[in-house]
Amino acid sequence: MSLAFGLCLTTLFLLASIGTPIGYAIISCAVVYLTLVGQDVGLAGEQIIYGLYDSFVLLAVPLFIVAANIMNAGSISERLLNFCVGVFGRFKGGLGHVNIVSSLIFSGMSGSAVADAAGIGKVIIKMMTKDGRYSPGYAAAITAASATIGPIIPPSIPMVIYALVSDTSIGYLFLAGIFPGLLMGLMLMTMNVYLSHKRGFIADKVVPLRELPRLTVNAFPALLMPVILMWGIYGGVTTSTEAAAVAAAYALLLSTLFYRSLTFSKLRDILLESVKSSASVGLVIGGALILNYIVASENIPTLLAHSLESLDISPLMFLLSVNLLLLLLGCILDATTIILVIIPLFLQACRALGIDLVHFGVIAVINCMIGLITPPYGILLFVINGTTGIKLSEIIREIWPFLFALLAALLLLILIPDIVLWLPMQFGYVPAT
Amino acid sequence: MKNLQIWLQRRADDVAVLMLSALFLTFVVQITARYVFNYPLGWTLELCLILWLWTVFWGSSFCLRHDEHVRFDMIYLIVSSGTRRKLAAISALAIIVTMLVAFPRTYDFVSFLQIKKSGTLRIPLAYIFSIYLVFMLSSIAIYGRGLLRLWRGQELSDPGAAGGIV
Repeated sequence: MSLAFGLCLTTLFLLASIGTPIGYAIISCAVVYLTLVGQDVGLAGEQIIYGLYDSFVLLAVPLFIVAANIMNAGSISERLLNFCVGVFGRFKGGLGHVNIVSSLIFSGMSGSAVADAAGIGKVIIKMMTKDGRYSPGYAAAITAASATIGPIIPPSIPMVIYALVSDTSIGYLFLAGIFPGLLMGLMLMTMNVYLSHKRGFIADKVVPLRELPRLTVNAFPALLMPVILMWGIYGGVTTSTEAAAVAAAYALLLSTLFYRSLTFSKLRDILLESVKSSASVGLVIGGALILNYIVASENIPTLLAHSLESLDISPLMFLLSVNLLLLLLGCILDATTIILVIIPLFLQACRALGIDLVHFGVIAVINCMIGLITPPYGILLFVINGTTGIKLSEIIREIWPFLFALLAALLLLILIPDIVLWLPMQFGYVPAT
Repeated sequence: MKNLQIWLQRRADDVAVLMLSALFLTFVVQITARYVFNYPLGWTLELCLILWLWTVFWGSSFCLRHDEHVRFDMIYLIVSSGTRRKLAAISALAIIVTMLVAFPRTYDFVSFLQIKKSGTLRIPLAYIFSIYLVFMLSSIAIYGRGLLRLWRGQELSDPGAAGGIV
Protein backbone atom coordinates (compact mmCIF):
# COMPACT_ATOMS: atom_id res chain seq x y z
CA MET A 1 0.00 0.00 0.00
CA SER A 2 1.49 3.33 -1.06
CA LEU A 3 1.64 6.51 1.01
CA ALA A 4 -0.70 8.19 -1.50
CA PHE A 5 -3.27 5.47 -0.95
CA GLY A 6 -2.91 5.81 2.81
CA LEU A 7 -3.57 9.54 2.61
CA CYS A 8 -6.46 8.92 0.24
CA LEU A 9 -8.11 6.60 2.80
CA THR A 10 -7.38 9.04 5.63
CA THR A 11 -9.11 11.82 3.69
CA LEU A 12 -12.07 9.57 2.99
CA PHE A 13 -12.54 8.47 6.60
CA LEU A 14 -12.01 11.93 8.03
CA LEU A 15 -14.47 13.60 5.69
CA ALA A 16 -17.05 10.82 5.86
CA SER A 17 -16.91 10.66 9.64
CA ILE A 18 -17.68 14.37 10.06
CA GLY A 19 -20.80 14.11 7.94
CA THR A 20 -19.62 15.08 4.45
CA PRO A 21 -21.92 13.37 1.92
CA ILE A 22 -20.24 10.04 1.10
CA GLY A 23 -20.25 10.71 -2.66
CA TYR A 24 -18.39 13.99 -2.21
CA ALA A 25 -16.01 12.47 0.35
CA ILE A 26 -15.01 9.81 -2.19
CA ILE A 27 -14.49 12.35 -4.97
CA SER A 28 -12.28 14.40 -2.61
CA CYS A 29 -10.17 11.42 -1.61
CA ALA A 30 -9.81 10.43 -5.26
CA VAL A 31 -8.55 13.90 -6.16
CA VAL A 32 -6.05 13.70 -3.27
CA TYR A 33 -4.82 10.33 -4.53
CA LEU A 34 -4.58 11.33 -8.19
CA THR A 35 -2.67 14.50 -7.29
CA LEU A 36 -0.20 12.63 -5.08
CA VAL A 37 0.60 9.91 -7.61
CA GLY A 38 0.86 12.52 -10.36
CA GLN A 39 -2.05 11.27 -12.43
CA ASP A 40 -4.60 13.44 -14.21
CA VAL A 41 -7.20 14.71 -11.70
CA GLY A 42 -9.74 14.74 -14.53
CA LEU A 43 -9.67 10.95 -14.25
CA ALA A 44 -12.00 11.15 -11.25
CA GLY A 45 -14.77 12.74 -13.29
CA GLU A 46 -14.04 10.47 -16.24
CA GLN A 47 -14.45 7.33 -14.11
CA ILE A 48 -17.70 8.54 -12.56
CA ILE A 49 -19.22 9.64 -15.85
CA TYR A 50 -18.31 6.52 -17.82
CA GLY A 51 -19.15 4.28 -14.87
CA LEU A 52 -22.71 5.58 -14.71
CA TYR A 53 -23.14 6.07 -18.46
CA ASP A 54 -21.90 2.61 -19.49
CA SER A 55 -23.84 0.61 -17.02
CA PHE A 56 -27.10 -0.75 -18.32
CA VAL A 57 -27.87 -2.74 -15.15
CA LEU A 58 -27.87 0.42 -13.04
CA LEU A 59 -30.92 1.70 -14.90
CA ALA A 60 -32.93 -0.73 -12.77
CA VAL A 61 -32.15 1.33 -9.67
CA PRO A 62 -34.27 4.45 -10.40
CA LEU A 63 -37.07 2.32 -11.83
CA PHE A 64 -37.32 0.02 -8.81
CA ILE A 65 -37.33 3.12 -6.62
CA VAL A 66 -40.22 4.59 -8.64
CA ALA A 67 -42.13 1.29 -8.50
CA ALA A 68 -41.81 0.99 -4.73
CA ASN A 69 -42.83 4.60 -4.15
CA ILE A 70 -45.90 4.24 -6.36
CA MET A 71 -47.00 1.06 -4.58
CA ASN A 72 -46.77 2.79 -1.23
CA ALA A 73 -48.58 5.94 -2.32
CA GLY A 74 -51.36 4.15 -4.16
CA SER A 75 -53.38 1.82 -1.99
CA ILE A 76 -51.58 -1.31 -3.24
CA SER A 77 -49.72 -1.93 0.02
CA GLU A 78 -52.86 -1.49 2.08
CA ARG A 79 -54.89 -3.97 0.04
CA LEU A 80 -52.16 -6.54 0.35
CA LEU A 81 -52.14 -6.03 4.07
CA ASN A 82 -55.89 -6.50 4.43
CA PHE A 83 -55.60 -9.75 2.51
CA CYS A 84 -52.82 -10.97 4.80
CA VAL A 85 -54.82 -10.06 7.91
CA GLY A 86 -57.71 -12.14 6.57
CA VAL A 87 -55.56 -15.19 5.96
CA PHE A 88 -52.90 -15.12 8.69
CA GLY A 89 -54.55 -13.02 11.39
CA ARG A 90 -56.27 -16.10 12.84
CA PHE A 91 -53.19 -17.62 14.48
CA LYS A 92 -51.59 -16.80 17.79
CA GLY A 93 -49.38 -13.76 17.43
CA GLY A 94 -51.48 -13.24 14.32
CA LEU A 95 -50.63 -9.69 13.40
CA GLY A 96 -46.96 -10.50 13.89
CA HIS A 97 -47.32 -13.20 11.24
CA VAL A 98 -49.31 -10.85 9.04
CA ASN A 99 -46.44 -8.42 9.33
CA ILE A 100 -43.89 -11.00 8.20
CA VAL A 101 -45.99 -12.53 5.41
CA SER A 102 -46.95 -9.14 3.99
CA SER A 103 -43.25 -8.25 3.96
CA LEU A 104 -42.54 -11.48 2.11
CA ILE A 105 -45.15 -10.69 -0.54
CA PHE A 106 -44.19 -7.04 -0.76
CA SER A 107 -40.55 -8.04 -1.15
CA GLY A 108 -41.56 -9.87 -4.30
CA MET A 109 -42.70 -6.54 -5.67
CA SER A 110 -40.22 -4.03 -4.37
CA GLY A 111 -36.48 -4.11 -4.06
CA SER A 112 -36.02 -1.83 -1.13
CA ALA A 113 -36.18 -2.50 2.60
CA VAL A 114 -36.78 1.13 3.43
CA ALA A 115 -39.79 1.27 1.10
CA ASP A 116 -41.19 -1.79 2.85
CA ALA A 117 -40.77 -0.35 6.34
CA ALA A 118 -42.05 3.09 5.40
CA GLY A 119 -45.06 1.85 3.43
CA ILE A 120 -46.61 -1.37 4.59
CA GLY A 121 -44.74 -1.21 7.89
CA LYS A 122 -46.30 2.02 9.00
CA VAL A 123 -49.83 0.74 8.42
CA ILE A 124 -49.36 -2.55 10.22
CA ILE A 125 -47.67 -0.97 13.21
CA LYS A 126 -50.79 1.15 13.62
CA MET A 127 -52.96 -2.00 13.48
CA MET A 128 -50.80 -3.88 15.97
CA THR A 129 -50.68 -1.14 18.56
CA LYS A 130 -54.28 0.05 18.20
CA ASP A 131 -55.88 -1.75 21.16
CA GLY A 132 -52.66 -2.09 23.09
CA ARG A 133 -52.38 -5.73 22.04
CA TYR A 134 -48.74 -5.41 21.15
CA SER A 135 -46.30 -2.95 22.63
CA PRO A 136 -45.15 -0.26 20.17
CA GLY A 137 -41.58 -1.48 20.56
CA TYR A 138 -42.53 -5.06 19.63
CA ALA A 139 -44.57 -3.95 16.62
CA ALA A 140 -41.77 -1.69 15.40
CA ALA A 141 -39.08 -4.31 15.96
CA ILE A 142 -40.85 -7.08 14.05
CA THR A 143 -41.60 -4.64 11.23
CA ALA A 144 -37.98 -3.57 10.97
CA ALA A 145 -36.78 -7.16 11.06
CA SER A 146 -39.20 -8.36 8.39
CA ALA A 147 -38.43 -5.39 6.15
CA THR A 148 -34.87 -6.72 5.78
CA ILE A 149 -36.30 -9.50 3.59
CA GLY A 150 -37.38 -6.93 0.98
CA PRO A 151 -34.15 -6.85 -1.02
CA ILE A 152 -33.44 -10.58 -0.59
CA ILE A 153 -36.47 -11.87 -2.46
CA PRO A 154 -36.33 -10.44 -6.00
CA PRO A 155 -36.48 -7.77 -7.24
CA SER A 156 -33.66 -6.19 -5.32
CA ILE A 157 -31.76 -2.92 -5.60
CA PRO A 158 -28.77 -4.07 -3.48
CA MET A 159 -28.40 -7.20 -5.64
CA VAL A 160 -28.32 -5.02 -8.76
CA ILE A 161 -25.51 -3.01 -7.19
CA TYR A 162 -23.68 -6.20 -6.17
CA ALA A 163 -24.05 -7.55 -9.72
CA LEU A 164 -22.40 -4.36 -10.95
CA VAL A 165 -19.30 -4.66 -8.75
CA SER A 166 -18.93 -8.45 -8.99
CA ASP A 167 -19.88 -8.99 -12.62
CA THR A 168 -22.30 -11.79 -11.74
CA SER A 169 -25.65 -12.37 -13.44
CA ILE A 170 -28.57 -10.46 -11.94
CA GLY A 171 -30.95 -13.19 -13.08
CA TYR A 172 -29.13 -15.87 -11.07
CA LEU A 173 -28.65 -13.56 -8.09
CA PHE A 174 -32.39 -12.87 -8.02
CA LEU A 175 -33.21 -16.59 -8.13
CA ALA A 176 -30.63 -17.29 -5.45
CA GLY A 177 -32.37 -14.88 -3.06
CA ILE A 178 -35.78 -16.60 -3.05
CA PHE A 179 -35.17 -19.49 -0.63
CA PRO A 180 -32.93 -17.46 1.71
CA GLY A 181 -35.68 -14.84 1.89
CA LEU A 182 -38.27 -17.46 2.75
CA LEU A 183 -35.92 -18.95 5.34
CA MET A 184 -35.52 -15.55 6.98
CA GLY A 185 -39.31 -15.21 7.09
CA LEU A 186 -39.66 -18.65 8.64
CA MET A 187 -37.09 -17.85 11.31
CA LEU A 188 -38.85 -14.61 12.19
CA MET A 189 -42.24 -16.37 12.38
CA THR A 190 -40.80 -19.02 14.68
CA MET A 191 -39.47 -16.31 16.94
CA ASN A 192 -42.86 -14.55 16.83
CA VAL A 193 -44.69 -17.76 17.87
CA TYR A 194 -42.23 -18.31 20.70
CA LEU A 195 -42.54 -14.76 22.00
CA SER A 196 -46.35 -14.73 21.63
CA HIS A 197 -46.65 -17.80 23.84
CA LYS A 198 -44.05 -16.65 26.30
CA ARG A 199 -45.65 -13.27 26.77
CA GLY A 200 -49.22 -14.48 26.37
CA PHE A 201 -50.31 -12.12 23.61
CA ILE A 202 -54.09 -12.27 23.14
CA ALA A 203 -55.24 -13.79 19.85
CA ASP A 204 -56.33 -11.17 17.34
CA LYS A 205 -59.86 -10.68 16.11
CA VAL A 206 -60.48 -13.22 13.38
CA VAL A 207 -61.76 -12.04 10.02
CA PRO A 208 -64.76 -14.25 9.09
CA LEU A 209 -64.02 -16.72 6.31
CA ARG A 210 -66.81 -15.34 4.11
CA GLU A 211 -64.87 -12.07 3.92
CA LEU A 212 -61.90 -13.83 2.39
CA PRO A 213 -63.06 -13.95 -1.26
CA ARG A 214 -63.68 -10.20 -1.27
CA LEU A 215 -60.28 -9.44 0.28
CA THR A 216 -58.61 -11.77 -2.22
CA VAL A 217 -60.30 -10.15 -5.21
CA ASN A 218 -59.29 -6.75 -3.88
CA ALA A 219 -55.66 -7.74 -3.53
CA PHE A 220 -55.48 -10.04 -6.54
CA PRO A 221 -54.08 -7.57 -9.10
CA ALA A 222 -51.38 -6.61 -6.59
CA LEU A 223 -50.63 -10.26 -5.86
CA LEU A 224 -50.04 -10.76 -9.58
CA MET A 225 -47.09 -8.38 -9.56
CA PRO A 226 -44.42 -10.85 -8.37
CA VAL A 227 -45.74 -13.40 -10.86
CA ILE A 228 -45.51 -10.93 -13.74
CA LEU A 229 -41.99 -9.92 -12.73
CA MET A 230 -40.73 -13.49 -12.47
CA TRP A 231 -42.44 -14.50 -15.70
CA GLY A 232 -40.91 -11.48 -17.42
CA ILE A 233 -37.37 -12.19 -16.28
CA TYR A 234 -37.27 -15.97 -16.48
CA GLY A 235 -39.68 -16.37 -19.36
CA GLY A 236 -37.21 -14.37 -21.43
CA VAL A 237 -39.67 -11.56 -22.10
CA THR A 238 -37.74 -8.82 -20.35
CA THR A 239 -34.23 -8.38 -18.99
CA SER A 240 -33.93 -7.89 -15.24
CA THR A 241 -33.53 -4.18 -15.86
CA GLU A 242 -36.59 -3.97 -18.05
CA ALA A 243 -38.53 -5.87 -15.41
CA ALA A 244 -38.02 -2.84 -13.18
CA ALA A 245 -39.79 -0.69 -15.76
CA VAL A 246 -42.59 -3.24 -16.05
CA ALA A 247 -43.00 -3.23 -12.26
CA ALA A 248 -43.23 0.56 -12.22
CA ALA A 249 -45.66 0.60 -15.16
CA TYR A 250 -47.87 -2.07 -13.60
CA ALA A 251 -47.92 -0.29 -10.24
CA LEU A 252 -48.82 2.94 -12.00
CA LEU A 253 -51.64 1.30 -13.98
CA LEU A 254 -53.06 -0.34 -10.87
CA SER A 255 -52.96 2.82 -8.77
CA THR A 256 -54.41 5.14 -11.39
CA LEU A 257 -56.84 3.11 -13.46
CA PHE A 258 -57.76 0.17 -11.27
CA TYR A 259 -57.66 1.40 -7.68
CA ARG A 260 -57.97 5.11 -8.59
CA SER A 261 -55.91 6.19 -5.63
CA LEU A 262 -53.28 8.35 -7.26
CA THR A 263 -53.68 11.98 -8.29
CA PHE A 264 -51.45 13.87 -10.68
CA SER A 265 -49.84 16.07 -8.04
CA LYS A 266 -49.21 13.06 -5.83
CA LEU A 267 -47.51 11.39 -8.77
CA ARG A 268 -45.25 14.41 -9.21
CA ASP A 269 -44.26 14.21 -5.54
CA ILE A 270 -43.51 10.52 -5.89
CA LEU A 271 -41.34 11.12 -8.94
CA LEU A 272 -39.46 13.96 -7.24
CA GLU A 273 -38.89 11.76 -4.19
CA SER A 274 -37.60 9.06 -6.54
CA VAL A 275 -35.27 11.52 -8.29
CA LYS A 276 -33.79 12.45 -4.93
CA SER A 277 -33.25 8.82 -3.90
CA SER A 278 -31.80 7.96 -7.31
CA ALA A 279 -29.49 10.96 -7.29
CA SER A 280 -28.18 10.34 -3.79
CA VAL A 281 -27.59 6.64 -4.49
CA GLY A 282 -26.23 7.41 -7.97
CA LEU A 283 -23.65 9.81 -6.57
CA VAL A 284 -22.38 7.19 -4.13
CA ILE A 285 -22.29 4.57 -6.88
CA GLY A 286 -20.33 6.96 -9.12
CA GLY A 287 -17.93 7.74 -6.28
CA ALA A 288 -17.47 4.06 -5.50
CA LEU A 289 -16.49 3.43 -9.12
CA ILE A 290 -13.49 5.76 -8.83
CA LEU A 291 -12.59 4.33 -5.46
CA ASN A 292 -12.69 0.82 -6.91
CA TYR A 293 -10.47 2.03 -9.75
CA ILE A 294 -7.94 3.31 -7.21
CA VAL A 295 -8.16 0.19 -5.09
CA ALA A 296 -7.60 -1.92 -8.20
CA SER A 297 -4.63 0.15 -9.40
CA GLU A 298 -3.10 -0.28 -5.94
CA ASN A 299 -3.64 -4.02 -6.38
CA ILE A 300 -5.36 -4.26 -3.00
CA PRO A 301 -7.76 -7.16 -3.77
CA THR A 302 -4.87 -9.31 -5.09
CA LEU A 303 -2.69 -8.48 -2.10
CA LEU A 304 -5.58 -9.37 0.19
CA ALA A 305 -6.16 -12.62 -1.69
CA HIS A 306 -2.45 -13.53 -1.46
CA SER A 307 -2.16 -12.78 2.22
CA LEU A 308 -5.25 -14.88 2.88
CA GLU A 309 -3.75 -17.71 0.85
CA SER A 310 -0.52 -17.53 2.83
CA LEU A 311 -2.56 -17.67 6.02
CA ASP A 312 -3.95 -20.91 4.64
CA ILE A 313 -7.44 -20.02 5.77
CA SER A 314 -10.32 -22.38 4.91
CA PRO A 315 -13.19 -21.05 2.78
CA LEU A 316 -15.59 -21.48 5.69
CA MET A 317 -13.33 -19.57 8.11
CA PHE A 318 -12.98 -16.88 5.47
CA LEU A 319 -16.73 -16.57 5.00
CA LEU A 320 -17.34 -16.47 8.74
CA SER A 321 -14.71 -13.81 9.34
CA VAL A 322 -15.83 -11.66 6.41
CA ASN A 323 -19.40 -11.88 7.68
CA LEU A 324 -18.37 -10.92 11.16
CA LEU A 325 -16.54 -7.92 9.73
CA LEU A 326 -19.54 -6.94 7.60
CA LEU A 327 -21.85 -7.21 10.61
CA LEU A 328 -19.61 -4.92 12.62
CA LEU A 329 -19.37 -2.46 9.73
CA GLY A 330 -23.14 -2.71 9.29
CA CYS A 331 -23.56 -1.31 12.80
CA ILE A 332 -22.05 1.97 11.67
CA LEU A 333 -22.13 2.12 7.85
CA ASP A 334 -24.81 2.39 5.22
CA ALA A 335 -25.55 -0.77 3.18
CA THR A 336 -24.92 0.84 -0.23
CA THR A 337 -21.50 1.99 0.92
CA ILE A 338 -20.58 -1.47 2.21
CA ILE A 339 -21.67 -3.22 -0.99
CA LEU A 340 -19.89 -0.74 -3.23
CA VAL A 341 -16.71 -0.11 -1.29
CA ILE A 342 -15.98 -2.98 1.10
CA ILE A 343 -17.32 -6.06 -0.67
CA PRO A 344 -15.27 -5.63 -3.89
CA LEU A 345 -12.13 -6.00 -1.76
CA PHE A 346 -13.00 -9.61 -1.03
CA LEU A 347 -14.14 -10.81 -4.44
CA GLN A 348 -10.68 -11.81 -5.63
CA ALA A 349 -10.10 -13.75 -2.42
CA CYS A 350 -13.43 -15.52 -2.94
CA ARG A 351 -12.37 -16.60 -6.40
CA ALA A 352 -9.01 -17.83 -5.09
CA LEU A 353 -10.69 -19.82 -2.33
CA GLY A 354 -13.29 -21.30 -4.68
CA ILE A 355 -16.24 -19.55 -3.04
CA ASP A 356 -19.09 -19.05 -5.45
CA LEU A 357 -19.78 -15.37 -6.11
CA VAL A 358 -23.56 -15.77 -6.24
CA HIS A 359 -23.50 -17.54 -2.86
CA PHE A 360 -21.17 -14.89 -1.49
CA GLY A 361 -23.31 -12.10 -2.93
CA VAL A 362 -26.55 -13.32 -1.40
CA ILE A 363 -24.92 -13.81 1.99
CA ALA A 364 -23.21 -10.43 1.82
CA VAL A 365 -26.45 -8.66 0.86
CA ILE A 366 -28.37 -10.41 3.67
CA ASN A 367 -25.61 -9.38 6.02
CA CYS A 368 -25.90 -5.77 4.90
CA MET A 369 -29.68 -5.91 5.33
CA ILE A 370 -29.24 -7.19 8.88
CA GLY A 371 -26.95 -4.19 9.25
CA LEU A 372 -30.01 -2.03 8.59
CA ILE A 373 -31.45 -3.02 11.96
CA THR A 374 -28.31 -3.24 14.07
CA PRO A 375 -27.97 -0.33 16.49
CA PRO A 376 -26.62 2.28 16.76
CA TYR A 377 -26.76 3.04 13.02
CA GLY A 378 -29.72 1.17 11.55
CA ILE A 379 -31.59 2.97 8.79
CA LEU A 380 -34.75 0.90 9.27
CA LEU A 381 -34.87 1.77 12.96
CA PHE A 382 -34.62 5.45 12.02
CA VAL A 383 -37.26 5.18 9.30
CA ILE A 384 -39.77 3.55 11.65
CA ASN A 385 -38.91 6.00 14.38
CA GLY A 386 -39.44 8.81 11.88
CA THR A 387 -42.74 7.58 10.42
CA THR A 388 -44.41 6.34 13.63
CA GLY A 389 -42.78 8.32 16.41
CA ILE A 390 -42.04 5.16 18.43
CA LYS A 391 -38.94 5.81 20.53
CA LEU A 392 -35.65 4.40 19.25
CA SER A 393 -34.79 3.00 22.68
CA GLU A 394 -38.07 1.05 22.73
CA ILE A 395 -37.47 -0.40 19.27
CA ILE A 396 -33.90 -1.31 20.09
CA ARG A 397 -34.93 -3.07 23.31
CA GLU A 398 -37.23 -5.37 21.33
CA ILE A 399 -35.05 -5.90 18.27
CA TRP A 400 -32.60 -8.41 19.81
CA PRO A 401 -34.62 -11.67 19.51
CA PHE A 402 -35.43 -10.90 15.88
CA LEU A 403 -31.83 -9.99 15.18
CA PHE A 404 -30.89 -13.34 16.66
CA ALA A 405 -33.39 -15.14 14.40
CA LEU A 406 -31.99 -13.43 11.30
CA LEU A 407 -28.41 -14.22 12.33
CA ALA A 408 -29.37 -17.86 12.74
CA ALA A 409 -30.72 -17.80 9.18
CA LEU A 410 -27.52 -16.18 7.95
CA LEU A 411 -25.39 -18.82 9.65
CA LEU A 412 -27.45 -21.61 8.07
CA LEU A 413 -26.98 -20.03 4.64
CA ILE A 414 -23.22 -19.79 5.14
CA LEU A 415 -22.99 -23.42 6.26
CA ILE A 416 -25.35 -24.83 3.62
CA PRO A 417 -24.68 -23.08 0.27
CA ASP A 418 -27.24 -25.33 -1.42
CA ILE A 419 -30.13 -23.34 0.08
CA VAL A 420 -28.87 -20.41 -1.94
CA LEU A 421 -27.59 -22.19 -5.04
CA TRP A 422 -30.14 -24.96 -5.59
CA LEU A 423 -32.70 -22.82 -7.39
CA PRO A 424 -30.26 -21.05 -9.76
CA MET A 425 -28.76 -24.46 -10.55
CA GLN A 426 -32.18 -25.67 -11.69
CA PHE A 427 -32.05 -22.83 -14.20
CA GLY A 428 -28.65 -23.80 -15.50
CA TYR A 429 -26.27 -21.97 -13.17
CA VAL A 430 -22.92 -23.67 -12.67
CA PRO A 431 -21.42 -22.67 -9.30
CA ALA A 432 -17.70 -22.20 -8.79
CA THR A 433 -15.91 -24.92 -6.86
CA MET B 1 -35.92 37.32 -3.68
CA LYS B 2 -37.25 34.44 -1.58
CA ASN B 3 -40.16 34.03 -4.00
CA LEU B 4 -37.84 33.89 -6.97
CA GLN B 5 -35.79 31.21 -5.22
CA ILE B 6 -38.86 29.13 -4.52
CA TRP B 7 -40.01 29.53 -8.11
CA LEU B 8 -36.61 28.48 -9.44
CA GLN B 9 -36.57 25.50 -7.11
CA ARG B 10 -39.98 24.35 -8.36
CA ARG B 11 -38.81 24.61 -11.98
CA ALA B 12 -35.61 22.70 -11.19
CA ASP B 13 -37.73 19.99 -9.56
CA ASP B 14 -40.04 19.96 -12.59
CA VAL B 15 -37.12 19.33 -14.92
CA ALA B 16 -35.93 16.48 -12.70
CA VAL B 17 -39.41 14.94 -12.65
CA LEU B 18 -39.61 15.24 -16.45
CA MET B 19 -36.25 13.52 -16.87
CA LEU B 20 -37.21 10.58 -14.69
CA SER B 21 -40.62 10.30 -16.40
CA ALA B 22 -38.91 10.32 -19.79
CA LEU B 23 -36.51 7.62 -18.63
CA PHE B 24 -39.41 5.48 -17.52
CA LEU B 25 -41.46 6.06 -20.71
CA THR B 26 -38.49 5.35 -22.97
CA PHE B 27 -38.10 2.00 -21.24
CA VAL B 28 -41.75 1.22 -21.77
CA VAL B 29 -41.43 2.15 -25.47
CA GLN B 30 -38.36 -0.09 -25.76
CA ILE B 31 -40.08 -3.12 -24.25
CA THR B 32 -43.28 -2.60 -26.24
CA ALA B 33 -41.40 -2.15 -29.51
CA ARG B 34 -39.31 -5.25 -29.00
CA TYR B 35 -41.82 -7.70 -27.57
CA VAL B 36 -45.15 -6.50 -28.85
CA PHE B 37 -44.22 -5.25 -32.30
CA ASN B 38 -41.09 -7.36 -32.64
CA TYR B 39 -39.26 -4.26 -33.81
CA PRO B 40 -36.22 -3.57 -31.62
CA LEU B 41 -35.20 0.08 -31.39
CA GLY B 42 -31.59 1.10 -31.09
CA TRP B 43 -31.93 4.58 -29.71
CA THR B 44 -34.03 3.84 -26.61
CA LEU B 45 -31.23 2.30 -24.57
CA GLU B 46 -28.91 5.17 -25.30
CA LEU B 47 -31.54 7.74 -24.41
CA CYS B 48 -32.17 5.93 -21.11
CA LEU B 49 -28.49 6.01 -20.23
CA ILE B 50 -28.29 9.72 -21.05
CA LEU B 51 -31.37 10.44 -18.94
CA TRP B 52 -30.01 8.37 -16.06
CA LEU B 53 -26.73 10.31 -16.07
CA TRP B 54 -28.62 13.59 -16.21
CA THR B 55 -31.12 12.59 -13.50
CA VAL B 56 -28.30 11.73 -11.10
CA PHE B 57 -26.32 14.91 -11.63
CA TRP B 58 -29.24 17.29 -12.17
CA GLY B 59 -30.81 15.87 -9.02
CA SER B 60 -27.55 16.15 -7.08
CA SER B 61 -27.02 19.69 -8.35
CA PHE B 62 -30.42 21.25 -7.91
CA CYS B 63 -32.82 19.02 -5.96
CA LEU B 64 -30.91 17.32 -3.16
CA ARG B 65 -30.44 19.12 0.13
CA HIS B 66 -27.19 18.63 2.01
CA ASP B 67 -28.94 16.47 4.62
CA GLU B 68 -30.65 14.35 1.94
CA HIS B 69 -27.37 12.93 0.67
CA VAL B 70 -26.15 9.52 1.82
CA ARG B 71 -24.16 10.58 4.88
CA PHE B 72 -22.69 9.14 8.02
CA ASP B 73 -24.08 11.59 10.56
CA MET B 74 -23.67 9.72 13.85
CA ILE B 75 -20.81 11.87 15.10
CA TYR B 76 -22.22 14.99 13.47
CA LEU B 77 -25.49 14.68 15.37
CA ILE B 78 -24.09 14.08 18.86
CA VAL B 79 -21.62 16.99 19.03
CA SER B 80 -22.56 20.47 20.23
CA SER B 81 -24.05 22.86 17.70
CA GLY B 82 -20.88 24.97 17.65
CA THR B 83 -18.72 21.95 16.81
CA ARG B 84 -21.31 20.84 14.28
CA ARG B 85 -21.01 24.14 12.45
CA LYS B 86 -17.22 23.79 12.38
CA LEU B 87 -17.50 20.25 10.99
CA ALA B 88 -19.98 21.45 8.38
CA ALA B 89 -17.57 24.23 7.40
CA ILE B 90 -14.73 21.71 6.95
CA SER B 91 -17.00 19.56 4.75
CA ALA B 92 -18.05 22.53 2.65
CA LEU B 93 -14.48 23.74 2.27
CA ALA B 94 -13.24 20.28 1.27
CA ILE B 95 -15.96 20.00 -1.38
CA ILE B 96 -15.23 23.46 -2.81
CA VAL B 97 -11.46 22.86 -2.97
CA THR B 98 -11.95 19.41 -4.56
CA MET B 99 -14.22 20.77 -7.26
CA LEU B 100 -11.99 23.79 -7.96
CA VAL B 101 -8.88 21.60 -8.26
CA ALA B 102 -10.55 19.02 -10.47
CA PHE B 103 -12.57 21.39 -12.65
CA PRO B 104 -9.97 22.51 -15.26
CA ARG B 105 -8.83 18.97 -16.16
CA THR B 106 -12.40 17.65 -16.10
CA TYR B 107 -13.43 20.48 -18.40
CA ASP B 108 -10.62 19.50 -20.80
CA PHE B 109 -11.75 15.89 -20.75
CA VAL B 110 -15.39 16.75 -21.43
CA SER B 111 -14.75 19.39 -24.10
CA PHE B 112 -12.31 17.08 -25.90
CA LEU B 113 -15.22 14.68 -26.42
CA GLN B 114 -16.80 17.23 -28.76
CA ILE B 115 -15.26 15.12 -31.53
CA LYS B 116 -16.81 11.87 -30.36
CA LYS B 117 -20.50 11.19 -30.93
CA SER B 118 -22.80 8.79 -29.15
CA GLY B 119 -23.50 5.46 -30.87
CA THR B 120 -27.00 5.83 -32.32
CA LEU B 121 -28.32 9.30 -31.52
CA ARG B 122 -25.10 10.92 -32.80
CA ILE B 123 -25.03 13.50 -30.00
CA PRO B 124 -21.51 14.75 -29.19
CA LEU B 125 -20.46 13.11 -25.89
CA ALA B 126 -19.31 16.55 -24.71
CA TYR B 127 -22.94 17.65 -24.49
CA ILE B 128 -24.05 14.50 -22.71
CA PHE B 129 -21.22 14.65 -20.19
CA SER B 130 -21.46 18.42 -19.64
CA ILE B 131 -23.99 17.80 -16.84
CA TYR B 132 -21.07 16.66 -14.69
CA LEU B 133 -19.46 20.09 -15.15
CA VAL B 134 -22.76 21.67 -14.13
CA PHE B 135 -22.71 19.47 -11.05
CA MET B 136 -19.17 20.56 -10.17
CA LEU B 137 -20.03 24.26 -10.54
CA SER B 138 -23.28 23.97 -8.62
CA SER B 139 -21.48 22.13 -5.81
CA ILE B 140 -19.06 25.04 -5.55
CA ALA B 141 -21.98 27.50 -5.50
CA ILE B 142 -24.12 25.54 -3.02
CA TYR B 143 -21.32 24.90 -0.56
CA GLY B 144 -19.93 28.42 -1.04
CA ARG B 145 -23.31 29.71 -0.02
CA GLY B 146 -23.33 27.17 2.82
CA LEU B 147 -20.03 28.57 4.10
CA LEU B 148 -21.50 32.06 4.03
CA ARG B 149 -24.52 30.87 5.98
CA LEU B 150 -22.29 29.17 8.56
CA TRP B 151 -20.23 32.36 8.84
CA ARG B 152 -23.45 34.27 9.61
CA GLY B 153 -24.30 31.77 12.33
CA GLN B 154 -26.96 29.85 10.40
CA GLU B 155 -27.08 26.15 9.57
CA LEU B 156 -25.40 24.92 6.36
CA SER B 157 -28.74 24.43 4.64
CA ASP B 158 -32.29 25.21 5.74
CA PRO B 159 -33.58 21.95 7.19
CA GLY B 160 -37.14 22.73 6.12
CA ALA B 161 -36.30 24.22 2.73
CA ALA B 162 -37.82 22.82 -0.42
CA GLY B 163 -34.59 21.65 -1.99
CA GLY B 164 -30.91 22.04 -2.71
CA ILE B 165 -30.79 25.55 -4.04
CA VAL B 166 -33.13 27.23 -1.58
